[in-house]
Amino acid sequence: MYNAGIQGSKPRTPYHEFYADDFTPRDHYRLLWDHIKATGNSALEAKAHESQLALQAEGVTFTVYGESEEGIERIWPFDLIPRIITAPEWVKIESGLKQRVRALNLFLGDLYGEQRIIKDGVIPPELIYQGRDFRREIVGIVPPRGIYTHVSGIDIIRDEKGEFLILEDNLRTPSGVSYMIENRVIERRILPEFFNKYRVRRVEHYPSLLLAALRALSPRGKDNAEIVLLTPGIYNSAYFEHTFLAKEMGVELAEGRDMVVVNDIVYLKTTTGLQRIDVIYRRIDDDFLDPLVFRSDSSLGVAGVINAWRAGNVAIVNAPGSGIADDKAVYPYVPDIIRYYLGQEPILNNVPTYQMTNVQDREYVFDNMERMVIKAVSESGGYGMLMGPSSTPALRKEFVDLVTENPRNYIAQPVVYLSRHVCYMDGELEARHLDLRPYVIYGEDIEVVPGGLTRVALRKGSLVVNSSQGGGSKDTWVLAE
Amino acid sequence: MRYLIEHETVLEYPRSVREHHIELRLAPRSDGHQKVLSCIIETEPAAELASYNDYFGNRADYFCVIQPHNRLVTRLRSEVETLKENPFNFETIPPLEEFEWLHKAIRLAPPVNDFVLHRSMLTPTAMKLAEAIECAFPRRDKDRPLLDSLLELLAWVPTVLTYSSGSTEVHGALTAAVRQGSGVCQDFAHLFITVARSWGIPARYVMGYLDPGISKVGETLATHAWAEALVPGAGWIGFDATHNLLANDHYVAVAVGRDSYDAAPQRGSFKGDYAGEQPSVTVTMQEQ
Repeated sequence: MYNAGIQGSKPRTPYHEFYADDFTPRDHYRLLWDHIKATGNSALEAKAHESQLALQAEGVTFTVYGESEEGIERIWPFDLIPRIITAPEWVKIESGLKQRVRALNLFLGDLYGEQRIIKDGVIPPELIYQGRDFRREIVGIVPPRGIYTHVSGIDIIRDEKGEFLILEDNLRTPSGVSYMIENRVIERRILPEFFNKYRVRRVEHYPSLLLAALRALSPRGKDNAEIVLLTPGIYNSAYFEHTFLAKEMGVELAEGRDMVVVNDIVYLKTTTGLQRIDVIYRRIDDDFLDPLVFRSDSSLGVAGVINAWRAGNVAIVNAPGSGIADDKAVYPYVPDIIRYYLGQEPILNNVPTYQMTNVQDREYVFDNMERMVIKAVSESGGYGMLMGPSSTPALRKEFVDLVTENPRNYIAQPVVYLSRHVCYMDGELEARHLDLRPYVIYGEDIEVVPGGLTRVALRKGSLVVNSSQGGGSKDTWVLAE
Repeated sequence: MRYLIEHETVLEYPRSVREHHIELRLAPRSDGHQKVLSCIIETEPAAELASYNDYFGNRADYFCVIQPHNRLVTRLRSEVETLKENPFNFETIPPLEEFEWLHKAIRLAPPVNDFVLHRSMLTPTAMKLAEAIECAFPRRDKDRPLLDSLLELLAWVPTVLTYSSGSTEVHGALTAAVRQGSGVCQDFAHLFITVARSWGIPARYVMGYLDPGISKVGETLATHAWAEALVPGAGWIGFDATHNLLANDHYVAVAVGRDSYDAAPQRGSFKGDYAGEQPSVTVTMQEQ
């Protein structure tokens, strides 16, 4: 039912965000275009250089895992030409994301409660019971106000017709929001003249929105909220972001070993003794969160924290168990999940997806592998993925074996030629593919920060935007009216 | 029958450990087949206990010892009355309706899916098991009641495994036990469960106690393990493959789960540089 078929075999033309045709920019880019033409490439070169220096001075970095265990720290790659989203476009994205996040939270509450959606036959039970991230250990615990995903980062792409599609949901510990803010800070400093021409909506208040949402969860009341950001430590690829957010929100940055649970109360060990903690914004996976409950060999977590959560003495953000809702094998069902809980049609559509557990789908995908993306359902960051068009026969053979052995573990999608945008690359303006990850905060209400992280595939023709795989980024402007 | 059960676990460490969190699944179940008359858990050093009912309906008791310690003792004392004198005293339904009954039971209670779908090292796929086993495993005869097939399976398990105390590791792979042809009660239960699941019958693991007057597995008493299968028309019926018996009032069930890991009587986490703890367990079970 999710088969969309592949239209013909000749390459299609991706949507261009910037140009309407070969010679004219889209209306909302015209002012920017005029400005670039007037100042010329040499001015851009100076600005690009300046932005590099600023990123270095600010220490805006990310970590790439490679051959070595510890990872390599790199300066965050930033392209100075902003990506602009018009007010009407944003209205659609915003309402679509709110709808999706609301439905996914109802879905999680149901899965860890009555499981009506399974009893009613909308979701096959195998999907949940064979999902690695369905956490039986938390069944029956109802988090405050039934909210599981206080922070979501949802990846959106634009297909050849310019339609916004949901590529994937990130509901565990989505990262990248610090770069959204840093990109804006740098862009404002380097290109203040751009901002004079447009009414760009703010994104810099993200940390205060997050802090307010965290405070509201405190079991001792929001005026009495001691909050920590729980990080796996300096070797994590998102460690820069952990320190950034802790600093911006004015909360403690802690590792598991800095905390202890005593009789269902969580404490931070400080130089002046134990300090009670009310809210944990955790940036470690469920698997490592509590060695008493999940992986017993984890030294990153806090033993007893799940029991403290069950007792209602601490809030954990995002709630444990959220991962089953962004499992890539659950993704094809999200439109049905929206219809089931909200009685509405999805505002934003999914990318057509083939289920590898379906024999017909599987055969079709194997026959058309060069036009498919195959993804492992429980991986992220571009790991465990086959990009059909650039794959070798040996790699395709390897994926046939992997999928055949464990079909529940994979999905496939026809390659969508992500939209393109101009980027300033070594003195030239060149087109590169990109996507968008807006951030959604579910506190008192659901709020979508107007903007997001635009990720760019820096290699010419590449469709992989993950920063772990050589992606870059742009400042993302959402226009006010 | 009325039993008094005492279960003591002693953990000792050559160098002290701290921030020790322990979760116990020791309290016997209360259901239609057994009544818990009393249940007391003590710890040394003394600690404040809390409890909750886990996903599988087991009562979990937990506590922590934060200060450095070299020794940690937990002690259960419980009186239980068991009621299931005749394990064959249940209704069955015609063979042709049995799978319809099972499908309906699973649809109404989705968590039962786990007891059909779950695969692990302890309860592997039929394919992995077949690779390790020399003989063919029993087939389900579609024209006869499921119970007959389950009883054949019950009798078949001891033809594959011989009981040998300490012959396999706790939570060790089932294929290892099957390859060497010997195991402990956990392996017997897992083998029964694995084959029952391959037939599409919900089967789960039970940890509990067996009257030492019945048990044939050796002089030192410890916890016992058996399987339960969902028998159409009847509900969960206990199958003790170690003894080729259906569970009756000589059995006291404590915890159930998908496999032995879910139903482990004790798990813990501590800070310290010692990882090779060998718990010393003493169990007594007396008829009152």
